[in-house]
Amino acid sequence: MRASFTLILGLPLLVAALILPFVVADSYVVHSAAMVLYFAYMASSWNFVCGYVGQVSLGHAAFSGIAGYASVLLFTGLGLSPWIGMILGGVLAAAISVPVGYATFRLKGPYFTLTSIAFAEIMRIWLENTDEFLGIPLKGAQGLTVPPVGGTSFLAFQFDGKLPYYFIILAMLVGVMAATHVMERSRLGFYLKAIRGNRDGAEALGIDPTRYCLTALALSAFLTGLGGAYYAQLFRYINPERNMGIDLSIDMAVMTIVGGQGTILGPTLGALVLHPVGEMVRASLGGHVLGLHLIIYGVVLMLAVLYFPKGIIAPLQRWLTPASKTTAPQTTVTVATPKEVEGR
Amino acid sequence: MSTRILEVDGISKRFGGLQAVSPLSFHMAPGEILGLLGPNGAGKTTAFNMIAGALRTDTGAIRFNGRDIVGEKPWDICRLGIARTFQLSKPFGGLSVVENVMVGAFVRTASEMEARAEAEKVVDFLGLTAKACTDAEDLTAFDRRKLELGRALATGPRLLLMDEVVAGATPTEAQEMVALVRRVRDLGVSILIVEHVMKVIMGLSDRVIVLDYGKLIADGPPQQVVNQPDVLKAYFGERYVQVHA
Ligand SMILES: Nc1ncnc2c1ncn2[C@@H]1O[C@H](COP(=O)(O)OP(=O)(O)OP(=O)(O)O)[C@@H](O)[C@H]1O
Ligand SMILES: [Mg+2]
Repeated sequence: MRASFTLILGLPLLVAALILPFVVADSYVVHSAAMVLYFAYMASSWNFVCGYVGQVSLGHAAFSGIAGYASVLLFTGLGLSPWIGMILGGVLAAAISVPVGYATFRLKGPYFTLTSIAFAEIMRIWLENTDEFLGIPLKGAQGLTVPPVGGTSFLAFQFDGKLPYYFIILAMLVGVMAATHVMERSRLGFYLKAIRGNRDGAEALGIDPTRYCLTALALSAFLTGLGGAYYAQLFRYINPERNMGIDLSIDMAVMTIVGGQGTILGPTLGALVLHPVGEMVRASLGGHVLGLHLIIYGVVLMLAVLYFPKGIIAPLQRWLTPASKTTAPQTTVTVATPKEVEGR
Repeated sequence: MSTRILEVDGISKRFGGLQAVSPLSFHMAPGEILGLLGPNGAGKTTAFNMIAGALRTDTGAIRFNGRDIVGEKPWDICRLGIARTFQLSKPFGGLSVVENVMVGAFVRTASEMEARAEAEKVVDFLGLTAKACTDAEDLTAFDRRKLELGRALATGPRLLLMDEVVAGATPTEAQEMVALVRRVRDLGVSILIVEHVMKVIMGLSDRVIVLDYGKLIADGPPQQVVNQPDVLKAYFGERYVQVHA
């Protein structure tokens, strides 16, 4: 039921994404579309843990930054292909996520969110103020550039046109969706939903919440890291603000929540709606009013939470698969007293 | 094989100024249905939570098949073979009936197929097959109770702790649940059952123990225990005992 809906909505979107760069070959359009895909990818990576356990992390940008810096530094310092650097960076982000998650996942709601912000902001501020660490040139707030190798080189993750970058991120997005699909159907997916639904009940059924939340977090951090490394290659530039700033974390969270948490396509829908809105606002007014796109996000978020608490994917699902509603058997609603009256 | 599947030896719990459970000792034989009775606030759920590892004990030991389980986490206790239901049934939202049961079945297998097959058996056992694909949150209160039992059963327990399984049920439903609990026992599962409804526990239990203000006031066969003055007093008050004496 769920899978078929994902296909009904997802396949046309995929086909559209595949032909778009050939219909509109304009490089600005292709670049903008790649950015939408990038945000869809990042939001999907965020959703991988947060959307399923129902905790809002606003620190995920740190994983993007860790892996982004790792991949750039391994390339500039050791000449390692960014493809390998990307994987290693992702692994590093996952490794760092585990102790951080261990310390924070026992916190609930706003406490978890606040500590996740603190973690990412400490990392960012440290990086912005560190020019060199253990002999590694980090160049603080100025950031690092990726030296061009000249022309197209697959190994060096450098291409002449925008098109290869577009298809790489599209493939990554399909990959993260496939990973989410597999996760949903696995023991891990069931356990995360159980923990979200009723933590005590989950514990009584043999589930150690910390263990499974951390597993999902590490996977999510790895995926987020890949996205961070991609971003650095796309712009051939990385700095703490853009690659690990709180704006990025907010983007991931808000896009997922608006689109639909805990679903395969929700984060992508959120990115499709919100990224263009944010860009338009930035382009028309952004120069004058800093952070205005965040205000617009706030408004969209409030509207979405008010009208589509399960995300804009919920009405689409109802509309596209009306059959799924009627298959539920008619249950007679009995007035259930929670507790029988004492004394007989 | 020990003749006691569960030995509770002087466990107690204090909440601030309230001694919710005073040092409490009892035991259970394999295959036994033991009823735990007591008025509101007697400490039944607290005792339960200590056995299930959801609450730390202040004192005492709990042995399951001879092994001390005090201090073990709830999920480890489940893995050892003790399952429980909660006084308030809360299904896992967004999952169907069979998927809820699968969560329990995943304790014994990592394979989705095996977990589903096991869960389907349990759902069938509960008589919920027709509703297997219903969202668990759309179930009636009584079906939720059955689902809660099914989730616990799917973990393959040797000992099942059940907290108030017929609360709010109609007489017909209560009968159905009693039959279900008997069938669970016939599978070789020992059952510790907390219940308010005297009639249910009388017919079902091999033996009952009674708590009042955290203290054990009776332990024995159901018919004998209900007629003890202490028990009548705890349940119906001093006057009832005097009038009927
Ligand atoms: N977490 C807690 N903190 C403080 N007091 C508690 C806590 N849990 C239970 N109590 C108190 O301990 C006493 C025993 O509660 P418990 O829930 O074990 O009773 P019970 O026998 O299960 O009652 P009921 O039949 O109402 O379910 C009650 O007075 C209750 O208010
Ligand atoms: Mg209780």
